[in-house]
Amino acid sequence: MSSIALESLDTGTGTTVEFADVHRVFGSTHALDGLDLKVRPGELLALLGPSGCGKTTALRLLAGFDQPDAGSVLVDGEDVSRLPANKRDMGMVFQSYSLFPTMSAVDNVAFGLRLRGRGAGDRRKRAAELLDLVGLSEHLKKFPHQMSGGQQQRVALARALAISPRVLLLDEPLSALDAKVRAQLRDEIRRIQLELGVTTVFVTHDQEEALSMADRVGVMRNGRLEQCAAPAELYQRPETPFVAEFVGTMNRLPGSMVPGGVRLFTQVVAVDGVVPPAGSDVRALLRPEAVLVEPAGGQPGDAIVTTATFFGAVTRLRMTQPDGQEILADVGSHRAADFPAGAQVRISVLDRPVLVRPESEATAGTVPGRA
Amino acid sequence: MTAQSRAGSSSEWSPARPTADPGQVHELADGSAPIVTLKRRRSYAWLGLTPFFLYIAAFFILPTGTVLFSAFRKTDAGTGVTSFTGSNVSSALHGVYFTGIKNSLTLALITGVVGALVGLVLAWAIVSSTGNVLTRFVSTAAAVLANFGGVPLAFLFIATVGNSGLLTKALADHFHINLNSDLHFDLYGITGLELVYLYFQIPLMVLVITPALEGLKPQWQEAAANLGATRWQYWRHVGAPILAPNVLGAALLLFCSGFSAYATADALTSGAFPLIPLQIHAVISGNVLAGMENLGDALALIMVVIVVPLMVIYQLLQRRTTRWLR
Amino acid sequence: MVALTPTAGAGGLAETQTGGPATSSRRRRRPGIGRGLVLLICGIYFIGPLVGAFWFSIQDKVHGGVQFSAYAHVFSAVGFSDAFMLSLKLGIGTVLISLLLMVPTMLLLHLRAPKFRPVVETLCLMPLVIPPVVLVAGVGVVLAWGPNQLAGTPLQTFLNAIQSGKTPWVLILEYVVLTLPFTYRSLDAGIRSVDIHTLTEAGLNLGAGWGTVTMRILLPSLRTSVLNAAFLSFALVFGEYTVASILQYQPFAVFIVAAGQTEGQLSTSLSLLSLLITWLLLLLISLLGGRNSTKVDI
Ligand SMILES: Nc1ncnc2c1ncn2[C@@H]1O[C@H](COP(=O)(O)OP(=O)(O)OP(=O)(O)O)[C@@H](O)[C@H]1O
Ligand SMILES: [Mg+2]
Repeated sequence: MSSIALESLDTGTGTTVEFADVHRVFGSTHALDGLDLKVRPGELLALLGPSGCGKTTALRLLAGFDQPDAGSVLVDGEDVSRLPANKRDMGMVFQSYSLFPTMSAVDNVAFGLRLRGRGAGDRRKRAAELLDLVGLSEHLKKFPHQMSGGQQQRVALARALAISPRVLLLDEPLSALDAKVRAQLRDEIRRIQLELGVTTVFVTHDQEEALSMADRVGVMRNGRLEQCAAPAELYQRPETPFVAEFVGTMNRLPGSMVPGGVRLFTQVVAVDGVVPPAGSDVRALLRPEAVLVEPAGGQPGDAIVTTATFFGAVTRLRMTQPDGQEILADVGSHRAADFPAGAQVRISVLDRPVLVRPESEATAGTVPGRA
Repeated sequence: MTAQSRAGSSSEWSPARPTADPGQVHELADGSAPIVTLKRRRSYAWLGLTPFFLYIAAFFILPTGTVLFSAFRKTDAGTGVTSFTGSNVSSALHGVYFTGIKNSLTLALITGVVGALVGLVLAWAIVSSTGNVLTRFVSTAAAVLANFGGVPLAFLFIATVGNSGLLTKALADHFHINLNSDLHFDLYGITGLELVYLYFQIPLMVLVITPALEGLKPQWQEAAANLGATRWQYWRHVGAPILAPNVLGAALLLFCSGFSAYATADALTSGAFPLIPLQIHAVISGNVLAGMENLGDALALIMVVIVVPLMVIYQLLQRRTTRWLR
Repeated sequence: MVALTPTAGAGGLAETQTGGPATSSRRRRRPGIGRGLVLLICGIYFIGPLVGAFWFSIQDKVHGGVQFSAYAHVFSAVGFSDAFMLSLKLGIGTVLISLLLMVPTMLLLHLRAPKFRPVVETLCLMPLVIPPVVLVAGVGVVLAWGPNQLAGTPLQTFLNAIQSGKTPWVLILEYVVLTLPFTYRSLDAGIRSVDIHTLTEAGLNLGAGWGTVTMRILLPSLRTSVLNAAFLSFALVFGEYTVASILQYQPFAVFIVAAGQTEGQLSTSLSLLSLLITWLLLLLISLLGGRNSTKVDI
């Protein structure tokens, strides 16, 4: 079925989007403070960042609901900053669904086609195809208030796709849904996006969502882009302390530089990237899964387990070292019984190159990461 | 006195909360048997509502029911025997009373429609342009005019465009224009009544329709623009259909409010203009022909028959849209 | 279609566009011409008669110029103080009886008898539907039973008692009916907003008795809505004309009309004053009660 929809949905690959030094000021708030961002043709780019960092503002500027105070928004190289929203051919999916309550699912989806002067039969057929694509072929005639949140959001997605948008915009489309529907719809959005090859900007503050769906993830902070990279790169090689803290969970272990690497506990581990001079104090950035633990076997160890949190396949141990330094480690849940609270543990780290930061910048301006 | 209270009266009857029965919790804590508690509470609660039901029965249902009943009763002047008849109602539908009904309907229709349209536009202008404080000023002022206007409104207009009103005189003195003969305006006739009624009808519309306008989500407009709609297309395809039931309902409400209004018309025309409410007063205050005692009741019955169905429709329309707007 | 023609779309976002880069406040702030025109015309229509009436009420007809005697001599006008006192009495009586009747009813309804709520709500809103003139016609018929069908029974005595005497109780009893919708709405909104279930439960769990819970917990938390209900009822009674004039009593509103026959300026000034005072009080209550109370109750 979806192949039919595919044919009629030639979005014309190759739409690029660019934010060039975009500023937007609300009173004293710099919602966007020089945003520079390029979205490649056909990719799904996730915009990730803490609440209030300007993600929605960026998306609204792109959709044309708002205008930048300075800088420009380019679509396929053309400045669209002054083009009204209804001329931009962008499909937007809102967080709150915002389906038209007086129209059935089919009519909602067909609305954009109706505005484009398509005949009644034609647009109904196409709306039905799109609803089929999002898995709602049973619910064509239903009104928004008769549908669940997940179903409404699918209709909203179909409605945005119906106009064959140059760019698809999604503003936290899943945040109002429960965990299970969210995961399901997330996969579906990704599948459809890949099928259609439409350039997509996806705003979220859920890092798991961003990392699992996107081709690239742009991390924003205070109205600027901190880093934009593929999920794996972002996770493994965060360029700034902020990104390191914000994406995933990061230990910052004190260590000192020695020839050949950084000394952590009893090991010397190679350094990834710029190597600080030997003798300097640094912080090594380590993911919890890169921290290895063993029961100390009755002897005093490197740290004491304070809490163990069950996450399904893994259990996260929070430990305290004698100097008060906290350290997190993930162990397979089948081993969790070896590490009750209060247990002495010996710590080592995975032997692969680690990122280090000079001690001076290690704690500057970070926000707590999310587990 | 009308709508606003009703405007919020949507179907929010949440079901009884079974767990939150404090009395029961208390009794259980005391250790007494829960089933006994439940029974005793139930009859007690029912008893507690009896004063209310008795009051309503005695001072509302009894008088209203009596009117509707005696609309069909007639006492024969000769024999003194009272019997059922349709003649009261039939007299109430003829002659001067027919004129009264017609005038009342016309007045209600015109002020209802014009009030609804102007009120809608005004409410939109207010909602889309003012800050919080000003909104509160306007909404309370509208509440006063719509609910408590009555007699004072008549005097505002008498003082301004009445026979010796300020504007009347100013026009005559400075421009040699006579409101009555040159502009065909008569404050004490149907045109004047319409002008004065709008003074409470428009605020009533503003009051009733503002929540609906505020309930229009900005995202609907944005979603429409996003799909390529101009502002006009948004209003035509999205905004208007959402508001339509509300506007229609509000217009019905205005119609009823104009149809039932008494104070303003009486104060303005000294009871002389043929409108049903005024005629009811004239009839029941005694100056009627023998055998026509129950004519007033028949007129009242006609009013009820016209108003009640419209108000029921209004309620249904309100209920229909509340689920869209929140 | 229209959307695709280059000119037609311009209206869509013209406003935001002209906002320009420098403006930090976007949309809505610039009142459009249409909007301004609407506000202007309606403003003239609504303010005009107020200004006209005020000017009329201070004109010195004898000497020309301006004088405030219509306001200064309000209290000395013949019949005014009687009418005013009567309205005051009616207002206070109505407020007391309707609160006495409705506060327990509403609490009971929410706490113990929720299944009666639809019935009570419908009954309470009915007086908005039935025109007051119909109600008063019925009251007239019932009162007329006194000397006829009910002659010699205790009911005749009762019907007599509520009509004559210093206080026309019949008005108060019917005003309670007319104010029911307001009282119901205010109290209902108040009770909903404070979640009396939890409050009551908490009180009872802490060992307080029902009386204590009602007096110390429920009523204080319903203060605003009770005040609101009281004010609305009072305002309604003070301006009430239909029932009083048809039953031939002369409270404030009826007095204004009667005075209007001879003293236009007095009636005009009283009209202005009553509108203004009602409005100011309502504004005060709305500011006191927060946003909610105006929206739900008025
Ligand atoms: N219309 C507006 N008026 C005033 N300030 C605004 C407006 N819109 C956004 N802001 C401010 O701009 C900043 C960025 O807002 P934005 O909505 O873009 O954040 P966000 O990244 O989408 O956050 P969230 O994850 O919470 O949705 C915030 O500080 C916000 O308060
Ligand atoms: Mg946002």
